[in-house]
Amino acid sequence: MGTPTTSPAPERTVRLRELGPARRGSRPDEVVIAVSPAFADFFTKTIVDVPHAEVLRQLLAGIEEQGVTARIVRVRDTADLAAIAHTAAQLSGSGIAVGVLARGTTMIHQKDLPRLSNLELFPQSPLLDAQVFRRIGSNAAQYAKGESPEPVPTRNDQMARPRWQAKAALLHLKEVECIEAGRDPVEVEPAFELSRAG
Amino acid sequence: MPDRARLVVGVDIGNSTTEACLAAVAPDRTVSYLGTDLTRTTGVKGTPDNTDGVLTAVRGALRRAGRAAAELDAVLLNEATPVISGLAMETITETIITESTMIGHNPATPGGQGLGVGTTVSLTELDEIDPGPPVVCVVPHGWDFEDIASTVNAAVGRGVDVVAAVLAGDDAVLVANRLTRPVPVVDEVAAVEKVPLGMLAAVEVAAAGYTIRTLSNTYGLATVFGLDPDQTRHVSPVARALTGNRSAVVVRTPSGDVTDRRIPVGTLELRGSGKTLRVDLATGAEEIMDAVARAQPLEDAHGEPGTHVGGMLAQVRDTMADVVGQDGEEAGSPVEIAINDVLAVDTFVPAEVRGGLAGEMHLENAVALAAMVSTSRSRMRSVAERVAEELGVATLIGGVEGKMAVRGALTTPGVDRPVAVLDLGGGSTDAAELDREGRDTAVHVAGAGELVTKLIDSELALDDREVAENIKRSPLAKVESFFHVRHEDGTVQFFDEPLPSHVFARVVTLAPEGPTPIPTRHGLDHVRQIRREAKRRVFVVNAVRALRQVAAGGNLRTLDFVVLLGGSALDFEIPEMIADALAGYGIVCGTGNVLGTEGPRNAVASGLVAAHAAAAP
Amino acid sequence: MRGDADAMTTTQPRRSRRTEILENRPVNLDGFVEEWPEKGLVAMDSDYDPAPSVRVENGRIVELDGTTRDQFDFMDTFIADHAIDVASAERANAIPSEEIARMLIDTHVSRNEVLAVTRGLTPAKILDVVELMNVVEIMQGMQKMRARRTPANQGHSTSARDNPIQVAADAAEGAMRGFAELETTLGVVRYAPLVAIALQVGAQVGRGGVLTQCALEEATELELGMRGITAYAETISVYGTEPVFVDGDDTPWSKAFLASAYASRGIKMRFTSGTGSEVQMGNAEGKSMLYLEIRCILMAKGAGVQGLQNGSISCIGVPGAVPGGIRAVAAENLVASMVDLECASGNDQSFSHSAMRRTARLMPQLLPGTDFVCSGYSGVPNADNMFAGSNFDTEDYDDWNTIQRDLQVDGGLRHVREAEILQVRNKAARALQALFSHLDLPPITDEEVEAATYADSSNDYPLRDVLADLKGAQAVMDRGITGLDLVRGLEATGFHDVAENLLAVLRQRVSGDLLQTSAVLTAELTPLSAINDPNDYQGPGTGYRLQGERWEQLKKLRHVTSATDPETEVG
Repeated sequence: MGTPTTSPAPERTVRLRELGPARRGSRPDEVVIAVSPAFADFFTKTIVDVPHAEVLRQLLAGIEEQGVTARIVRVRDTADLAAIAHTAAQLSGSGIAVGVLARGTTMIHQKDLPRLSNLELFPQSPLLDAQVFRRIGSNAAQYAKGESPEPVPTRNDQMARPRWQAKAALLHLKEVECIEAGRDPVEVEPAFELSRAG
Repeated sequence: MPDRARLVVGVDIGNSTTEACLAAVAPDRTVSYLGTDLTRTTGVKGTPDNTDGVLTAVRGALRRAGRAAAELDAVLLNEATPVISGLAMETITETIITESTMIGHNPATPGGQGLGVGTTVSLTELDEIDPGPPVVCVVPHGWDFEDIASTVNAAVGRGVDVVAAVLAGDDAVLVANRLTRPVPVVDEVAAVEKVPLGMLAAVEVAAAGYTIRTLSNTYGLATVFGLDPDQTRHVSPVARALTGNRSAVVVRTPSGDVTDRRIPVGTLELRGSGKTLRVDLATGAEEIMDAVARAQPLEDAHGEPGTHVGGMLAQVRDTMADVVGQDGEEAGSPVEIAINDVLAVDTFVPAEVRGGLAGEMHLENAVALAAMVSTSRSRMRSVAERVAEELGVATLIGGVEGKMAVRGALTTPGVDRPVAVLDLGGGSTDAAELDREGRDTAVHVAGAGELVTKLIDSELALDDREVAENIKRSPLAKVESFFHVRHEDGTVQFFDEPLPSHVFARVVTLAPEGPTPIPTRHGLDHVRQIRREAKRRVFVVNAVRALRQVAAGGNLRTLDFVVLLGGSALDFEIPEMIADALAGYGIVCGTGNVLGTEGPRNAVASGLVAAHAAAAP
Repeated sequence: MRGDADAMTTTQPRRSRRTEILENRPVNLDGFVEEWPEKGLVAMDSDYDPAPSVRVENGRIVELDGTTRDQFDFMDTFIADHAIDVASAERANAIPSEEIARMLIDTHVSRNEVLAVTRGLTPAKILDVVELMNVVEIMQGMQKMRARRTPANQGHSTSARDNPIQVAADAAEGAMRGFAELETTLGVVRYAPLVAIALQVGAQVGRGGVLTQCALEEATELELGMRGITAYAETISVYGTEPVFVDGDDTPWSKAFLASAYASRGIKMRFTSGTGSEVQMGNAEGKSMLYLEIRCILMAKGAGVQGLQNGSISCIGVPGAVPGGIRAVAAENLVASMVDLECASGNDQSFSHSAMRRTARLMPQLLPGTDFVCSGYSGVPNADNMFAGSNFDTEDYDDWNTIQRDLQVDGGLRHVREAEILQVRNKAARALQALFSHLDLPPITDEEVEAATYADSSNDYPLRDVLADLKGAQAVMDRGITGLDLVRGLEATGFHDVAENLLAVLRQRVSGDLLQTSAVLTAELTPLSAINDPNDYQGPGTGYRLQGERWEQLKKLRHVTSATDPETEVG
């Protein structure tokens, strides 16, 4: 007992369908998730190959488990995480938003904070796995409810530098290439698909 | 009789600060106070290292008064009675669950609601069982919430009567939201693999804001499991253990049980007033304090060797021996050091339940002990010699601290004899009384600020003394947005500048340096209640205990005025808590204002001067 | 194609056994990326770097590397106005790059003759020169251009628990092993005053004259320096593009102002920069890592600081992942030296999973010798290293000593017998114990002193009362404790020699001798810098030679079989 019987593991993919310009929400019980220009678009997985479908699914699950609703927007004119998360916080009915870059770097932001500040920041993208994304979603929802969640423990690994530092820089440069200057954020709807990849 | 005013300075060496009071004593013994100063105590109180601090304070007071050291006629030092206190805490109860019969933790977000009773079946076997009696589905680690829901839905579709689910992960709402037929779901059961399978189990989830009704009721359990009166008696602890939860799981196993066990932690031996009393620590604070009262005046206390209590009392003794025995001629051996007072306080410690499947915490009973040793032997003589040498001024060791403090307290406007002082310190609470005839008495009792910190620390399971101290010192507030907080009294304060991000949505202490977050999931009200209760159990209890020892015949009604002194007299709520408690005895009580200007500070230094003037030839 | 192949018949492509072995080699845990020069993800030799040019009008540089003054960003302005010798600029830049590159390795050309040319060069011209050099030539250049004749090394002494006793004991051991500078930093910043004191005391116990610093945010770092609790400062970062500078709320002028604050108190200081930081932050403006680093180096020069810590430093994973990256890192060290700055040459951050790569990355600095071969070697196990791990740590001490002996090069360290190490560790802990007691700081128990004597990592020490320590640390700041209070306390508690050592370090603040380029203090407590120990390398038989007493020291290892009695070991 202890492991699911399904093998091979199902691979979920996600496509983000644009619904229209992102608007400010009025529900106090919502968290806005903002993804970067290349998220689930040019890129399909994080720096450590966590599929973007799983990133979104876990963030959404963490929020739903807390009984809070979620909207997803795509910010198109910047690849700066603080700017993405801050933009989304302005759109969020609760003032709470989660920003996530294609490589996985994630931040929880609040609308009244200065752009360069944040509630929780997860800068070490190579150390973020599905469970961490779930907890980030959960914490964002708890902030939205006015609760005081324990911050998600940030991990550290001295050997992340030799392994991931240059790839992170490369992914960032690629993401910057995907910026569409002057275009406003759009609301998107995720379409998850299950493929039994072998 | 001298024909001119004499310039004297009283100096009080305290545990943390050294205070000076400069005054001119006229030939007719009238005292004119000229200036005060306050500095950090150098070294351990009562040791020669104190000299530097004394000199700093004396020079500071002289400078403020515009006088020179050469003009001084005498320096008056307090007879410091070093008081060493020790703290210990022993858990005396333990909750044990056997045969994994019960899951009584409170996951933040259970799913569904209602009661489901059925036989436990693993999710991995759900697709193999035939429709029949109701089942409770137990989900191991590693399952995705969507897979759980679809597996359960498939079984239900085949006619399997799934009435509840128990999950390892934090997925209850997610699963419940995806079930075609809603059932109660309890999640975050970390040791889910230990849930016995093939047994009858009941799962209950209450609506948000409610607590469970059936499983926390003994007869509810009896109804659910069809128990006879004998068996019902047996499950009563289970019901009690689940009281107040929003969700619970109970599995019926052949001899499953929840027990509340007393832990043997050793006995305390108290010697005093010609008798020796033994009291088991596990009997709690009330019994211990009764024994302490019967052994008054306490001559010594010992803990049973090999127990925590024994170790703690031995350590207090050793520390004291170090302080009084650094000079060769005064070497004291640990045996000679006697414990003069013990304060026991009932407390509780959140502890993980043994045998629990979900890391359940239970508030276990515990007893906190403060013990205190005081000795008349100090090395003030050598401090006095060094001060005399440095300043070239006669340096005298004045009276006992408490007795001096009460004289200093008399300079508080509106105070008259008979007066008692309460000095609320870190390790001990000290009281002294001066009656109408000028007779004085002074006592120290164990337990003060440090014990309060310890109680707050353990009762909130902080494991961080700094946070506990912050809670003790400052009022609480909840940061409701970046621009406003709600204080503990319900009032709201707005800010122009945003608060720092690390305090957002948190319960904070409002220290002078700014809001500091408390890392706890407890609400503000709970933290506040624990803080006030800790202060009451230590300071209010000790205030009454100490005053009884100095009041004539132990009768508090013989006291007219009580003046609060010391660092804790500046606390934002302790003075009023004590005043409230004493009001019933017709006592006027308040924080001192020595010399009408110094607040609760400088009482001993001023008292030294007053006593010196009164005794002058 | 079959839709439902079951597991039994699913065929994985057969793998070479050798490939499997190679796959499992540590080097394959490192990350490598392809170059992308348009975005600046390239070490050097990029087509997108500017071509060198300079034009001077009325004693002012009006064109720099193809940009006219009206188009200057603030880096260009600062470099043009403060870093380049205007008088010689046009002449120096007219010299063909090949000729300057050859001067760098030509044993007939003295260091001073090279400096006469390099002081007028523009960033792009310097880049053009070093791009002509392969890694051996870069090392040859470094051998001659290093400012101080005698090479040295720097160590880190930190604690995962910020335990001051550990920092003191490891500082003492490190000082005795040979580090000329020791650096610390914190996990919990509020611990800084206690840890900085511990570092200072430990260092002066281990070897009088070792210089110490505590890396913190700039204001506190400056205050500890001004109080004489630390002896130098290093972590003042500069960047190669304007946006990265601005992101940190800084300009070249604000950094220069900070530098002058240190100089005003006679405190040694150097800037920090390194290849890769700009592209890491996504603001390389399409320039190569080395070109941007050369701008940083000239910025440091222009600010008037005596030296620079470079060699990629915390961004080493970026140049380390691109082709020729470690050559570029060697080149940036050389450039610092060839514009007459002290160079603390990196090798100070976790670099590779492969021991072989870690060693190879060191060679361009170890073989020619630099002012500080590492700018910090971890004097504690890497798990305790609060600078996020170094390229070398305490486990590598014996390897390092052996490499020095094999190649007969001086990397600044030496083997020390265990008995001596235990003795200094114990003394450092006792001195700190006495000093804390004297200053009324939280007590250090005999048990902690005992632990410090024999410990390896922070796990080997009793836990401290952190709350009491933090209050003590605050008291150090509130009470205005200075380096002189430490001297007084050490003297009063019977550590006369340690007090003398520390006083000698503090005395340098008055003489200002540590402001000279590449200054360190010898064991005799005299300054050794580019002024009184100038690098005079001019070919074989000249310059610093590992010989005599020092070579005898470095011949010693933990286990060397005696030639006179092969049944025993010497040392």
